[in-house]
Formats: sequence, C-alpha cells, structure tokens
Amino acid sequence: MKKDIRNLRNIGISAHIDSGKTTLTERILYYAKRIHTMHDVKGKDGVGATMDSMELEKERGITIASAATYCEWLNHEINIIDTPGHVDFTIEVERSLRVLDGAILVLCGVAGVQSQSITVDQQMNRYQVPCIAFVNKCDRSGANPLRVAKQLKEKLGHNALTMQLPIGLEADFEGVIDLITMQAAYFDGDKGEQVRREEIPADLMQTALDNREILIDQASMFSDGLTEAILEEKDVSDEMIIEGIRQGVIARQLTPVFIGSAYKNKGIQPLLDAVTRLLPCPLDVENQAMDMDNDEQVIALSNAVGKPLVALAFKLEDGPYGQLTYIRVYQGALTKGDTIVNVRTRKKVKVGRLIRMHADQMEDINTIPAGYIGALFGVDCSSGDTFVAPGISLTMTSMYVPEPVISLAIFPKDNKSEVNVSKALGRFTKEDPTFKAYVNEETGDTIISGMGELHLEVYIERMRREYQAEVETSPPRVAYRETITRKAEFDYIHKKQTGGAGQFGRVAGYLEPVQDEDFVFENKIRGGAIPTQFIAACEKGFKNSMQKGPKMEFPVTGIRVVINDGASHSVDSSDMAFQVAARGAFRQGYAKAKPVIQEPIMKVVVETPTEFQGTVMATLNQRRALIVGTQEEGLFSVIETQVPLSEMFGYATDLRSVTKGRAQFTMEFLTYKQVPQTIADELVKKASAEKKNVA
Amino acid sequence: MAEIKSFKNTNSFANSGRRFEFEGKPFPFKEPEFQKKITNIPTDNICYIRERNIGMLKNELILKNPLRRMGYESDDILNTGEFGAVMARAGVGKTAFLVQLALNSMLREKKVLHISLADPVKKVSLWYKEVFNRIATQYAIHQSVQLWDTVLPHRFIMTFRAEGFSVLTLEERLSDLIEQNIFKPHTMIIDGLPFDDAVNQDLADLKNLARRQGMHVWFTVRTHRHEEPDPSGIPAQLIAVADLFEVAIQLVPVGKQIQIKALKGPGSQGDQAALMIDPATMLIKDQA
Repeated sequence: MKKDIRNLRNIGISAHIDSGKTTLTERILYYAKRIHTMHDVKGKDGVGATMDSMELEKERGITIASAATYCEWLNHEINIIDTPGHVDFTIEVERSLRVLDGAILVLCGVAGVQSQSITVDQQMNRYQVPCIAFVNKCDRSGANPLRVAKQLKEKLGHNALTMQLPIGLEADFEGVIDLITMQAAYFDGDKGEQVRREEIPADLMQTALDNREILIDQASMFSDGLTEAILEEKDVSDEMIIEGIRQGVIARQLTPVFIGSAYKNKGIQPLLDAVTRLLPCPLDVENQAMDMDNDEQVIALSNAVGKPLVALAFKLEDGPYGQLTYIRVYQGALTKGDTIVNVRTRKKVKVGRLIRMHADQMEDINTIPAGYIGALFGVDCSSGDTFVAPGISLTMTSMYVPEPVISLAIFPKDNKSEVNVSKALGRFTKEDPTFKAYVNEETGDTIISGMGELHLEVYIERMRREYQAEVETSPPRVAYRETITRKAEFDYIHKKQTGGAGQFGRVAGYLEPVQDEDFVFENKIRGGAIPTQFIAACEKGFKNSMQKGPKMEFPVTGIRVVINDGASHSVDSSDMAFQVAARGAFRQGYAKAKPVIQEPIMKVVVETPTEFQGTVMATLNQRRALIVGTQEEGLFSVIETQVPLSEMFGYATDLRSVTKGRAQFTMEFLTYKQVPQTIADELVKKASAEKKNVA
Repeated sequence: MAEIKSFKNTNSFANSGRRFEFEGKPFPFKEPEFQKKITNIPTDNICYIRERNIGMLKNELILKNPLRRMGYESDDILNTGEFGAVMARAGVGKTAFLVQLALNSMLREKKVLHISLADPVKKVSLWYKEVFNRIATQYAIHQSVQLWDTVLPHRFIMTFRAEGFSVLTLEERLSDLIEQNIFKPHTMIIDGLPFDDAVNQDLADLKNLARRQGMHVWFTVRTHRHEEPDPSGIPAQLIAVADLFEVAIQLVPVGKQIQIKALKGPGSQGDQAALMIDPATMLIKDQA
C-alpha cells in the first residue's frame, strides 16, 4: 500500500435503483486498468458486472451486498464501495457511508432526483459525507442534465454547480464541455478509453462562458485567493477554481454536477479526475470517537500512524476461509501480528491475515494504515464493533440500524435442512443487523424478519443456494404494535401472605402516551412509599410487560410510566413481589388507557408513464393507500402515497401487470399508525383462531 | 384539601371558555385563570384535560378561524363555481394564506385539491405540516398528531410543470380521481398559475370545470411593484379577467405587518376591520 494519505480517496457510489451505479463502477475499474474487460449488469455475455459477485446478484441484476474494491487514477488510490439501490438493503448503504469520506451521487438523466435518491441523500447527511453528483444516462431519450441539476437544488436542497455542459443529448450525446479547462471532451475508441480534447463548438461557446462565470462566482465563495484574483482582475488559474470548489465540497456547501453515460462509456474519466481533485482525503475529514473510560467524552481522532489504533469493523462476510471482517482504520495502523482489543467484548484478538478486497478476489497485505479500508480474517466480532490498541477504550459512534418491519415463519423441509438453516441464520443475522431470526415460544416456529419482501426473499434463496437448506415459508407477517391513546391511573396491590414466604407490593401512578420514545419510566415517589431498592424491580416489571401487550400480544411502545405512590412490607416485600405488582399495575392501567393496535405505514413512491397514472392510483386505492400527491414530470408521473405494509404484499406483480412492466416503485418505512377498527377486529379474530389451533 | 384526581370536560365551548366539572360540581374558571389560581396544589396529582375529543378540537379550531370576522357568509367564503384570488408580491405569504384556508376546509371534512405549478409534492406537503404545526402551537393543541392524521385524508396534492399544465390534462386527472372514487374535491387551490396573456381561456375553461364538478377555486396571483393597479386597486394581472373572480384578497405589507385587504367581494367596501398576518408565523392574527 502506498503511504501518502493525501492521495487516498475512500468513496461510495450511491443512488436510486437502476441509476447505473454498478455499470459506472465497472467503467471506473476498466479505465483504471483494474479489470481488462467490461461486463454489463444482466449483459448478454451472462458474466455480470464485476462488483455483483454473488450468483444471485448476477441473475437478478441487482446489487445485494455492497462490494469493496480499489483502483488507481492520476497517482491516487481510490477505495470504492458499490452499494445496493433497493431500500430493503438499506443497511448496506448505511454501513458503507459510515466509513466513507466522500461519495458519488448517481442520478438518472431522465428520471432525475428519484425517491431513493432522497433517502440516500438523507443518509449522506446523517454521516456528513461530502459528495459530487453524476447525471448518468444522458444518451437516453428524454435526458436533460440541466433539469436534473435544478432538481438537485429544489428537491434535495443542494447547491448544485454545473461543471460540464453536454454536447448533444439523447441519441446525439457526443461528449462534454469542461467549464474549468474550457475544452470539449470526446470519448473515442471501442470502449471510450481515449479522451480527445478539442475546442468548444462555436454554437455552445456563449452558453459555456455564461456557465463558467457562474461556476467561478460560486467557487470564489470558498476561496479568498480566488475572490482576490477576480477583484484585482488577475488571471484566474484552473487550480484556484478547483481549490475553491474543493473547499465548498468538503464543507458540504457545494455539489458539483458531472454528466455522462456509463453504459455508452462517456464522461467517466473526467468524473474520476474530479474524484481525485474535489473529494476529500482522510485528512480533510474529522472523525470522532467516544472515550468509554471518561464518561463517553468525544475525542477527535488523528490520522497519524504513530498513535494507538482505532478501527471500525463495518461489515462481516462469511467466506470459504472463515469470517471476513471489513475494517476501516481511523487512527494508528493495523499490522499483521498485532494484538488488538474489541471494545464491546473487551476481548483481545491477535491479527492474523490482512487483505485488500477487490469484489470476490483478495490481495494479502501486511498493514492497514489510518485512513485505509481493508479486511481481516479469523476475528470473531459483530458489525459495528470498534477495535483499539490495548490500553485505550475508545468507541466509534454506532450506525443507525432501522427496525425490521416484516416477518415470516420458515419450516425446514427435512432434517438436513434444519441443521443448515440454523447455520445460515447464525451467519446472516451476524452479517446483517436488520435481519433477525428467533423462535416463537408458543408456536415453536422459526421466524425471520427484515426490511421488506425482497430482503427476506433474498435470504431464503441464499439459504437454498449457499447452505442447501430447503425451506417452506408462511405468508409474510407484519410487525404490528400496541400503544395507548390516553392517560390512565393504576393502583395495584400484589399480596400473597397465606402460608410460606409472603409477597407484598403496592404500586400506584399513571400511564400516558408519549411520542418518539418506546418506554419512559419516571419515579415520582416521595417519602419512601416504595423503598429505593425496589424501584428498579418496578421498572423491570413495567418494561417486561411491554414485550407482549395485553390486548393482542404485540409489543407495546410509546408509553410513559409514572409511579407516585405505593406501599411495602418490611418482611414480605421483595424484588419479585414488586415486579409482579408492576405487571399487575400495567395491566390495570393499560385496560383503562384505550389501547389500540398500530401497523407499519410505508412511504410508497410509484414512477409510472403518465398514461397509467389513473390505473396505478386505483391499484393503490384498493390497498388502503393515502395518496399524498401526484407529480407530473413530462412523460412520467410520480405518485407519492402512504400505504399499510400489510396491503403491499404482491404489489410488484400487480403493478407490473397493470403497467405492462413500465412502472416501478420504491417502498420504505414511514411511521406506525393506528389500525382501522374493522381491520383490528379481523386481527383479533385471527389471533383467537390461531390460539385455538395451538391449543 | 381534597385530592384533585380528575376534571371532566362538559363538552361546552360557550364564550370560548371551556367549562369543567370537579367532583360533580361545575368548575367555574376558564382555563388560564384556573391554571393561575391553583398554583399551590401539588401538580403531581392533577390530570390535565389533554385528551379532548378530536371532533371537539376540530370545532374549536373552526370557530377560532380569524377569517370568520371578515364578513363572509359561508365558511368557504366562495360558493360553488366561484373563483377567489389571493394577490401579493413574491414572498409575502400567498401560499401560507391559502394553506390556512385549505386547512380550515379540511377541518370541516371538505376535500381540498391543491395544485402547484411551482413546487414539488414534498414542498407543498411541508407547507401544510408547517402551517398546521404553527396553528397547533398557537392554540396549544396537545393531540396534534392525531388531529393531523384525521385531516390529512382530505387533501390531495397535484403538481405539474408550469409549461406542461393544461386544463384538459387537469380534467383528465380529476376524472380519474372522481370516477374511481379516490378523491372528489370540494375546493381547488391553484398555486403558481402565470397570469399572462394566455390565461383568459384557461380561466374560462376552469370556471366551467368548477361548475360541472361542484367546487370552487382559489388562485394565487403574483403582483409586481412596478405595475400600476386600476382605480379600484385591482392589480394589473387581474384586470382583464376580474369578471371571472367573485372574491379578491390582497396581502399588503404595512410596516412590519401584513394586512389582508378585501378588494372584491364582502368586506371590500371598507365595512369590516382589516385582518393582519403575523410575519413571524405567517398565520392570520387572532385579534379576538
């Protein structure tokens, strides 16, 4: 590995589904001479893109797991992570963005800023990742990169800065005008590998000059040197402009917009130039960790190699040689043979084999210095764990992990499958924090839960392919919840004083709904009505009651419990007695607090040709959708809705059939809302029927 | 002192002061006084009445709608097939004003179709949420989430690119919604329609559409500082089509406030007190 950290870029490629992230990555690797032939996603040669190394990815033409690779360009090393576009695999995007210093936001030149672009943008905001935008598919009919740049401003609030102008559009898309060098770039050769730079066509010159003026004006906001040069009417050098824009990008105040067509091999090399020139190196980004020995005090990390190691395991993968742990080093260096400590478990680990990944191939290395991404073998840990040098106890702030919203029961078909299923589940749950598996105590069924139908489908398919585990599945189940809608008081005495050791505890107070929190416990007891040592038992009693609601046995959320009175007995009161009393108190208060069932509501965005708008709205209406609005974008319409998840099963098939396969939709969790009474009644009926069956 | 456990709401809103019962007897104070006078009671033992019936809340907000004092006969201000215009210079608060009118209709369970030719669905949605939240804060509504959930189904947003908008397209979309029983609007708001030379025919077609579908339509009209109004104060943009409009309201910055001035329709003869918009919240001031 080269050691000049200023020439290192850790970048991600994120976008809406089918915007061409994987195709773009394939081109980048080809031009950087990392691969020698280009393959297309779902291409006719059947090979599939390099980054879609999983068999399932090649077949479906989607990226499921983010893949890491690296390449070299203009004497810079670029670590690239290609991420999935489907929202079901959102955790892959989250964990990639967590460790990246910059990103390329790919946008479709025709569809512009789409719903998933908005989600990805929010994720970038969450981790403060600077980005440049690439408007892809400029060769497609209806492409308009300037409109997309405008949408970037309007819909995402980015300060979009046009860096290039197209020469021709749609089928006539020939090349781009670079507004910094004021040259036209054309991409010759079979695979666009030769960049031919020429003078700007005369008819585009004036537009280019106008746009360059805007560009310099914007760049000058971030560079005093440039402003001075403009005011003193000195020559403005390309370097000065680039430096100004770079400062704007690092401060997340500017989003330079590049254009091209990855599929037609146009505009990729200038984009790579921009990655090296405009996106930050690890030194430009300040990373922070929390000191666990010092009241979680926030500490800024330094990229200096001599400092003690701090590294984050952000992704796990089970390969043929055991568990592969992807790691980003934030401080110090990780060297073969070192002893490191997992901060969460406090276990010491000896570093064995260190590698650098290139999709499914690997290259052995001896050390991973600060700022770099690599992987190590044979370390037992969970994703999100921090590794440090012995003697310090710093932890990186964790990633945002959304809760699963859909579950289904799986039944292994035979004994062999049963053993393999448990192996597969062990691995998958460790790799993916949004995928969960547990056994339902009452029915004995194995339940898996995740972020969407596709998410679970992919895991079931992987069980079959990678573990030879054949399973049958139940229809998917929605993660319902219970909550209360009004304040209610409780005053409960648990008393068992007939023979043997007695039990006594009285708990009084009230329950009330609370927004944005699952459970809040408040102790307002004065004068020791309940002795202090039993307060924790009361809290535990209430908390345990929340796991299974008295109404429908769904988990209970959004409750604030306040205890303000109680009583104890000098001999008969115990932790157990107060826990039982708290459970009784919860049941008592809960019944009076108007409990309701809530269901997950998904934000569903359908993009359809305008001619099908009415039909699509009808399909949504049948599914209890609240249609928020429709947006006409030329030949396409975007329909924004809120639909209960329980109504969305099989929607992909329905949508395909009514729109002749020309519409697509994205779905992501929005909120929990109260279930209408008729549906609640049905759920109650269903639950009682199931109970009878179990009995 | 008796331990106060709960107060019961007696469902009366007379004189805008709510009456309460305490241990079966009427509790005479209005809420603000009530809060002042019982400061010596330990607040731990009081259950405040926060869980008001959503229907009652809606009624209360409808009654508090400051526009009622502008002298309009119906809550809608406009009758079926009628046009209303809200005129102001850029950035004065036309959209915020219309969103308040729309929210008032939605509270009365009347459906509002909001058409925007300038902003995307997300931004329009945000306008509603923001104005609603401000109203909820102004009137100290604790159940704002539940109330929002009940009014939301009464709104439908449609956005078009200004160049792609035509009455014919709108009619097609509207028929889709009505025929499939998805949404039948009672009020339509058109925000961002350019009032240029070509608008006359569009407005005539819209008038017919409004009559056929039994709805009324509000428009935003952007005025310009440099254009002279006619002698009655009607801005230049509206002069040619003024006959089609039954109500015209202008938002005029006066010092640090924004005045709501009726130019056409009830209140335009100076017979009603002028209402103001609070520039900090963009809400119509409740001057009761």
